[in-house]
Amino acid sequence: MYAYDTYDHAMVNARVAEFRDQVDRRMKGELTEEEFRPLRLMNGLYLQLHAYMLRVAIPYGTLSADQMRKLAHVARRYDKGYGHFTTRQNIQYNWPKLSETPDILQELADVEMHAIQTSGNCIRNVTTDQFAGAAADEVADPRPYAELIRQWSTFHPEFSFLPRKFKIAITGAAQDRAAVKWHDIGLVLKKNETGEIGFEVLAGGGMGRTPVIAKSMRDFLPVPDMLSYLEAMLRVYNEQGRRDNKYKARIKILIDAMGIEEYTRQVNAEWEKIRHVPIDVPEKEVARIKAFFAPPPLAVSADDVAEVTELANANFIFKAWLNNNAGAHKVPGHAHVTISLKPHGGIPGDASDAQMDLVADLADAYSQGEIRVSHEQNLILPHVAKKDLPALWAKLDEAGLGTANAGLLTDIIACPGLDYCALANTRSIPIAQSITERFDDLKRLMDIGPLKIKISGCINSCGHHHAGHIGILGVDRRGDENYQLLLGGSGAEDASKAAILGPGFNEVGIVDAVEKVVAVYLGEREDEESFLNAYRRLGPDVFKEAVYGTD
Amino acid sequence: MVLINLTGIQPTGYTLLADDAQPKEGENVAVSVERLLGENSSFFNTAGGVGAIITTGTAFSDLDRIADKLAFAVIEFPAFGDGRGFSLAVRLRKDFGFKGEIRATGPVIPDQALFLLRAGFDTVEVTTKRKQAFEAALSRFPGFYQSDFGGQTSIAHARHTVEGLGVEGHRKAS
Amino acid sequence: MAKKITGPQLILANRLDDGRAVFLTASGTWSNTAADSAVAENEAELDTLMTVAQAADLANLVVSVTPVAADTSGDAIAPAHIKFAMQARGPSVRADLGYQVSPNWEQ
Repeated sequence: MYAYDTYDHAMVNARVAEFRDQVDRRMKGELTEEEFRPLRLMNGLYLQLHAYMLRVAIPYGTLSADQMRKLAHVARRYDKGYGHFTTRQNIQYNWPKLSETPDILQELADVEMHAIQTSGNCIRNVTTDQFAGAAADEVADPRPYAELIRQWSTFHPEFSFLPRKFKIAITGAAQDRAAVKWHDIGLVLKKNETGEIGFEVLAGGGMGRTPVIAKSMRDFLPVPDMLSYLEAMLRVYNEQGRRDNKYKARIKILIDAMGIEEYTRQVNAEWEKIRHVPIDVPEKEVARIKAFFAPPPLAVSADDVAEVTELANANFIFKAWLNNNAGAHKVPGHAHVTISLKPHGGIPGDASDAQMDLVADLADAYSQGEIRVSHEQNLILPHVAKKDLPALWAKLDEAGLGTANAGLLTDIIACPGLDYCALANTRSIPIAQSITERFDDLKRLMDIGPLKIKISGCINSCGHHHAGHIGILGVDRRGDENYQLLLGGSGAEDASKAAILGPGFNEVGIVDAVEKVVAVYLGEREDEESFLNAYRRLGPDVFKEAVYGTD
Repeated sequence: MVLINLTGIQPTGYTLLADDAQPKEGENVAVSVERLLGENSSFFNTAGGVGAIITTGTAFSDLDRIADKLAFAVIEFPAFGDGRGFSLAVRLRKDFGFKGEIRATGPVIPDQALFLLRAGFDTVEVTTKRKQAFEAALSRFPGFYQSDFGGQTSIAHARHTVEGLGVEGHRKAS
Repeated sequence: MAKKITGPQLILANRLDDGRAVFLTASGTWSNTAADSAVAENEAELDTLMTVAQAADLANLVVSVTPVAADTSGDAIAPAHIKFAMQARGPSVRADLGYQVSPNWEQ
């Protein structure tokens, strides 16, 4: 993991001191709310329905056990004993006091964490594959590049006041677990014919009211050119992105208006001017950062472990958990383990302080002290020896963290919705709870197979409904909560936009509709066909008929 | 209004030239980019120093045509969140090697003082009430991850160019 | 003049310090309980309430002052729209948090 040196520490400490001064000036009335609002947003502090909300960055989703313990401590001491892990690899606290946020930020700074650029019209927390550095299918670990981007984008003198927020995602594997095609910029690590590592560069993706899938603009960008190319991309956007209408200010609108070819041409012209001027990072610095992400010293061992197989044969729930929540590691004899934050009937992405502390302890005991946070709102222990899986599972299960549903229908993404969020039109969490209760049957879930349900409580799409195999969008219909059903989206390498099936439902009707859609799939699927593939083959009509009837 | 001097440059005294007025011999004048694009060499020869009043909507390609004739530049921020002003200053410094004074005007906020300095601004016009906050903000951060036009090298370089320099030495050495 | 209103209104805000939702009362104080809200039946009354509320904003006591439709049909005054009703109660998915526990749930 990356470790701060004196420079990094000085930077976050200076930031905390600055914010403490700003909060102080606000409390004394020296700053008006209008002046203070952008300053608090730049420190991740929102005002929501019941209280302030603090969004803390978990850069590229990587956490140490000690950092997780600090998150638990903050939840306990300054909040209500829980936190909410988000689709952008952040954690949100729902009840902090304004006067205490500088203390919270100082506590976080002490463990090398911050809330810098988790809001505002700037380059946000860079996200990546939750299995980075562990996944068997990885070309290269994307995290050193994510850290380079984090540093380059932090307080960037030119790009801190962009037309709108800007999100970058990187994946190091062909199987895209970071939804890179739904980002303003997506980077896909790959090897060229000579074995050199570089990036495919995609641009202009995004959700919100105008969902757009990113377009590829460069097939292979050598690694040393990454920052200068990003600088050129941001420059064209900063100059030409619309500033007259916040709903049209994202880069996706600019690229749609000028065309990806013209955008690419302008970026390349910019790049020619600046690419030979080094953008700040000497080779030694790249090497220094890479060294932090050296693979942990895992001993290669056999993939088949007798006690694991025995327990799996004896215990169906463990077998299901092994099958769904433990994935192939690049070092034989190991697995990466997804800790589901989606207990049936629970709140997607929420974890209590005690659960966070337990995960920290388990990371120390079984996973080299490392934890990841996924955009699907789960926690991951990236480096677990297979022989430890039975013991790990037993401890997770005892704490309510053993739900064996990773990747299945009840592994639902949901935004906080109207239960917390000032922008929401409807609640999201209760819909997720109803669906997971309706489908509370592991055998049935495993029969249904991989199925991603994503729920947003408004068109801002924090719940990624556009990318759901089944997407649910809450809308305000004359003061009533109404839920639209969308089908056929994907956030993976085969990204697609979900399409609205028909008129919306109330909160009971939407759960019935999901059940009908699943029934159609089970009736129509061929062989091992997944839900998404079946939908793509069948089209919407057969689903529409089942949900709305024929007349 | 008062002028905050970010870099220690000698600030330019100038006249805002009315739309229909011509510069007096040797007079420093500030004129809109639109007008400068149409002015011929006699305009530039008559005036002492010519400065461009640059709105944030100014196309980079327009700067290309006048940058080498300018003695100073005044970049007007219509709102503090309009980040094009920073890019315009960077462009003048980086792409055109512009050495003259770059001044910021408009509702920029004290917390942007270091962003202005780092993007290449020399001076900023602020309300008297904000003077102290601006000056305080200038000394807030010991270093940044980017090399800048305030003369500071990036942390990335400082880590490797001067062994064991540490945070305190970083700012002095740059 | 306040905007035209079509029914009774109450004034909602958040306290500056801790951000908690609060309701303007007839005596010009801020309450944790929606039922304590002063209700404006017409534009002139709303103007009067908003003047008081905005003074509290200027005095750095509250932020996000918002007039919202009031439901006066039941025993207690409450915000009519679900969003503002949520602020009066707390998150529907956490019955252990917010004013639904008690107006003084944090003490």
